[in-house]
Amino acid sequence: MAFFILKRLIQSVFVMIAVAFLAFSLFRFVGDPVSQMTGVETSAEDSARLREELGLNDAFIVQFGRFTNNMLHGDFGYSYRTRQPVADMIAARIPATLELGTVALLISLLVGIPTGVYTALRPRGFVTQAILLTTLVGVSIPTFVIGIMLIFLFGVQLGWLPTFGRGGTVQIGGWTSSLFTFDGWRALILPAVTLGVYQLTLTMRLVRAEMMEVLRSDYIRFATARGIPYRSLYFRHALANTMVPVITIIGLQFGGVIAFSIVTESVFQWPGMGLLFLESIRFVDIPVMGVYLVVIAFFFVLVNMIVDLLYVAIDPRLRVRGDG
Amino acid sequence: MTFAKLMKTSALAGVLMLGAQGAYGETFRWASTTDPQTMDPHAVNATPVLSFLNNIYEGLVRRGETMEIEPSLATSWEPLEGENGWRFHLREGVSFQDGAAFNAEDVMFSYQRASDEAADVRSWFSPVTEMRVVDDYTIEFVTNAPNPLFPDSIANFMILDKDWAQSNDAALPARDAENFATMNVNGTGPFTLASRDPGVETRLVPHADWWDAADHNVTEAIFTPIGNSATGLAALLSGEIDFIQPIPLQDVAQVESRAGFKVLEGEETRVIMFGFGHEHDKLLYSSDITDTNPFQDPKVRLAAAHAIDIAAIDRVIMRGKIEPASQLVPEGISGFSKVHAERPGYDPERAKALLAEAGYPDGFSFGLKCTNDRYINDEALCRATASMFAAVGLKAALTTGPVRDYWTQLRADDFDMYLLGWSPGTFDAEHPIRFLLHSQDDEKKLGSWNFGNYSNARVDELLPLIQQEIDPAARQALIDELVGITQEEVAYIPLYTQPLIWAAKDNIELTQRADNFFMLRWVTVN
Repeated sequence: MAFFILKRLIQSVFVMIAVAFLAFSLFRFVGDPVSQMTGVETSAEDSARLREELGLNDAFIVQFGRFTNNMLHGDFGYSYRTRQPVADMIAARIPATLELGTVALLISLLVGIPTGVYTALRPRGFVTQAILLTTLVGVSIPTFVIGIMLIFLFGVQLGWLPTFGRGGTVQIGGWTSSLFTFDGWRALILPAVTLGVYQLTLTMRLVRAEMMEVLRSDYIRFATARGIPYRSLYFRHALANTMVPVITIIGLQFGGVIAFSIVTESVFQWPGMGLLFLESIRFVDIPVMGVYLVVIAFFFVLVNMIVDLLYVAIDPRLRVRGDG
Repeated sequence: MTFAKLMKTSALAGVLMLGAQGAYGETFRWASTTDPQTMDPHAVNATPVLSFLNNIYEGLVRRGETMEIEPSLATSWEPLEGENGWRFHLREGVSFQDGAAFNAEDVMFSYQRASDEAADVRSWFSPVTEMRVVDDYTIEFVTNAPNPLFPDSIANFMILDKDWAQSNDAALPARDAENFATMNVNGTGPFTLASRDPGVETRLVPHADWWDAADHNVTEAIFTPIGNSATGLAALLSGEIDFIQPIPLQDVAQVESRAGFKVLEGEETRVIMFGFGHEHDKLLYSSDITDTNPFQDPKVRLAAAHAIDIAAIDRVIMRGKIEPASQLVPEGISGFSKVHAERPGYDPERAKALLAEAGYPDGFSFGLKCTNDRYINDEALCRATASMFAAVGLKAALTTGPVRDYWTQLRADDFDMYLLGWSPGTFDAEHPIRFLLHSQDDEKKLGSWNFGNYSNARVDELLPLIQQEIDPAARQALIDELVGITQEEVAYIPLYTQPLIWAAKDNIELTQRADNFFMLRWVTVN
């Protein structure tokens, strides 16, 4: 097990370097950082000097080499826009994104699994059809439209929930959390629902499909014939067997949730990494963009690894093969 | 994190929540699209930074509600006798926010800091050859030529405390790494920083020992940058913020239709215009004319000007909020040429005739470059103009893109015609002449935004004369001559001044200044 984790972590370094390479080969097309860092009255001479100081005249491979080398030495550089250390800026934004992503995932599981089971048990019921239709509409509308609609309904018209930001936060060690205040939770609901809608639909449909498959299988028919109570039958025997593919897919999706929370963070002015990334693109803040992409790549690798471990833990057959 | 502290934070959050539903006291919350990149007054010469920091730091002079120059840290100033330059008499009894006293040493230090290579604002001091401290409350700036506008040009030159900056290793603006002044402040202005979380929230509180009488009644001001305009509007309409700058044109009706909110409208001083590749020998993006550049002929440029229907643009794209422009500065800016206030009218027949006269009876195609995120409805403007051009035979192939790589393309001469907006930083007609009309001259740092390199020997000759002329009438005559030449030659096609549109709750009184600066010292929460 330890060897497996170590191997994955070593692989992740190569994934991150590959991502950084791709990112750096694209940064040239994003725009000119110097014109974003200076005012209109700055002379051509001063701009040229700044460009030289930042090493922007170097070939892309040199810039990439310097970035990678510094990263490997733990130096993440300084933001062009704010002049602050990139490591601090990203670290300060990670909690907001992770809390949002986790709560979105929890919502999608807590709502998606029961509705998935329900719609599988009553495939032709009116409620089932209504749920399926609603969620289909839900995934068809782009995230930012859902976000804006929720804001205008619950924030502006009803005035129940805040329209932007994280609300009250508390510091726990270096972690800024909004999970420990009432106000923080109020602020978290709308963005988490917005981010979780797609996951929720996916979870529900996956559970439904798997469940219907399992319910048709012989052992369920046999168990039914033996008179096992329905609750135990559905939730203990049937559901457990649907969970393996569900966990795999949902787990892999979590990396996507973290990476693609950009849109939700922008709509709700949620101060996470995605929002920071968007601001950085606007200012052509190459150091921040580079580190963000590398961190996201690391998250993906990490999530995949955890899913693999869970997979092994859940399915005994894989464990046997893994040891062999 | 102790339990008590947790309770306190939660209690605070609860209070803030109640606040969101009504009784505000005098806490003022506002939002804008861009977070000031730094708290260092000399590091970045950009409106979001200078506007924000003008609440904290002060200059020798400042601008009033209608942009007039008035005394600030200097009580009076006069030209030097016998040499070029200005003497400033400093205000006594002024203290910085940390309690230190203000005197001439701080001005000297700030001048050295702001004119250093690491400072982005150093161009303000390019005419200065020397600065002298005469006594504790008198200083002198010596300039290389008579410079009647010098006091106006340093209205945003902010003074910080010498001892504070030096003892905190912030003697120079941060260039590639942060320093103490990036996140901390110590100015003489009406507000000081209570907390700062970059990109998230910045809190300001009044400076108790401010030398001037406070007009505002704000006890705490909370700033949140909100990049997404729909989110910003929702934040205002839900009552979570009191004021937002700016809002998009299309949201004006939405705000006005709701009780309890108001839209503040003014004219910004930014003139939107089209520029030409004057020095380009041939068109880059033409499918029919590849060996020459028709825009080198003033007749063709005038034809393009006559093809544009400003009234239609105003009605359809700008919802009746623009002011047509005849020259590179709007009326009201000092040096505006009243004798040349007429702009080429919408006259497609005349445009076609001019094109025929110039030898292009069937018109020609060319490339038009525009931004899509820099000016109000810029992309829509360019689409509309392209079809107006097409109606007279000027077939514009439109390319639009974000501003972050727009200037790079223009500097690389990658255009046939382009869109540009210009706001005169000094609020004087000399500013666009220096940057947009004088021929490119890197040595003298002139014409640095004259992308097409419009060049006229008389214009180049007039600029220094305008800069040095002390007599207002003589100066205006020089500017009138210059504006006449550039209109005759259609150096640019000035289109209009774009509006400033802010929105606030009804109970907020504030001043909308034409430079798009928002000053907390004029805010009243009723």
